[in-house]
Amino acid sequence: MSESPPRFPATRCADCGHLYGHEAYICRECGSETFAEAPLDGTGTVYARTTIRVPGSDQQGEEPFEVAVVDVGGEETVRVTARLEENPELGPDDPVEFVDRRDGVFYFRAA
Amino acid sequence: MNDVCVVGTGTTEFGVREEGIVELGVTAVGRALRSCDVDREDVDALYLGNFVAGMLEGQETLAPLVADSVGLVGVPTMKTEGACASSGIAFRQAYQAIRTGIHDVVVVTGVERMTSAETSEFTRALGSAADHGTDGATGLTFPGFYGLVLDRYMHEYGATREQVAAVSVKNRRNGASNPRARFRSPVTVEDVVDSRLVADPLRLYDCCPAADGAAAVVLASADVADSYTDAPIPVLGSGHATGRSAAYRYDDLTTLEATTLAAEEAYDEANISPSDVDVVELHDCFSAAEIGDSEDLGFFEKGEGAAAVAEGRTAVDGELPINPSGGLLAKGHPVGATGIGQIYEVCLQLLGEHENQVDGAEVGLAHNLGGSGAVSTVTVLGGPSRV
Repeated sequence: MSESPPRFPATRCADCGHLYGHEAYICRECGSETFAEAPLDGTGTVYARTTIRVPGSDQQGEEPFEVAVVDVGGEETVRVTARLEENPELGPDDPVEFVDRRDGVFYFRAA
Repeated sequence: MNDVCVVGTGTTEFGVREEGIVELGVTAVGRALRSCDVDREDVDALYLGNFVAGMLEGQETLAPLVADSVGLVGVPTMKTEGACASSGIAFRQAYQAIRTGIHDVVVVTGVERMTSAETSEFTRALGSAADHGTDGATGLTFPGFYGLVLDRYMHEYGATREQVAAVSVKNRRNGASNPRARFRSPVTVEDVVDSRLVADPLRLYDCCPAADGAAAVVLASADVADSYTDAPIPVLGSGHATGRSAAYRYDDLTTLEATTLAAEEAYDEANISPSDVDVVELHDCFSAAEIGDSEDLGFFEKGEGAAAVAEGRTAVDGELPINPSGGLLAKGHPVGATGIGQIYEVCLQLLGEHENQVDGAEVGLAHNLGGSGAVSTVTVLGGPSRV
């Protein structure tokens, strides 16, 4: 990919600076309820991956699809549970990049 | 602090059952009461673990309904819920109530009815144990969570699919001689690795089956246990801990801290180390889970669990028999009943009455786990000579 991927929409605790991938309701570190947007570099790495072939009721008909735990952010990373756009070959330590967030779900693809 | 003993046990068979949920619970509780000399007026409270009766059966208020149906009039009751650890938590609450002197005799039961539900309702109900805002939104299922765990485990430790399959082979072999098990037929490594993929790298035979069933125990203060049975089983230690709420919350997906923390608490209280344990019933909802659990409970070094099961070290005649009952993989997993079901199996071992008896079992451990490693209970039990 020659273009850099979209920024990843992380958030940061406004009080202690702790970084979050999935939104927190309250900061685990300091208890603050105030968060600020903190976009990160959209490049990441797969930590673990599975392919869902027997989905739950909300994903009937979408199978098979890949779900992964991904570390994203460049210098400073956050770990998120995400979908991988069709690439069953991806696995631990493979590079990925952020695509977008749809219906609250982060999507990544092979970098 | 009072010492606590199991003085009575009862169970239904696990599998596809016709009875309603209250009847299942009443049957197990009735059998537990009949197994000992506890009169109904001796019982101070009843605690019941259940996960999805509200969603699947439209039936709540289970604890008082079961209590009233067995003739326990007026006693306090409550339902505990922690997904697959629901009745492990019920046991823990009863144990603490006796330990602190609040109660002398408490009935604990776990009950679940699952097999008659429509598949879509069933998956939705089970999915309620995941965090809907994060893991759940991606479509990650329970097999999917353990698929991630196994993917990482194999990557880090070089375990093979065949080694992992050995868990299912062992537990199905054990279940074949357990009349309480849903699956009574053995499988081979080839059967497991050729079965259809469910959540890569997990396949169908890596997954425990749903089941209906109930199990119950009667717990009593050690001071009065002798008046109820000739063979009280002392509870040597108990642990209960919270872990991580979703897959992304783990720094290391191959270690479920709920288990390590609960185990540490139970070992400390029992004043034993993992090497003192003679027989184990642990939470093998998936083959990969048994391997991780066996390491998290301190029986094997990180990364050694897969080779250990493949080498037969956890067979009934091995150095540390794990899941001689057949575990969840063969007995089935009636979610809310599983925790007490495991304790029932360990008690049989410590009484020397199990179909797959471990020779000379003096110390047994039961490990129950709920959600994506969200909650765990660990119970250490001793033979009657250890009261």
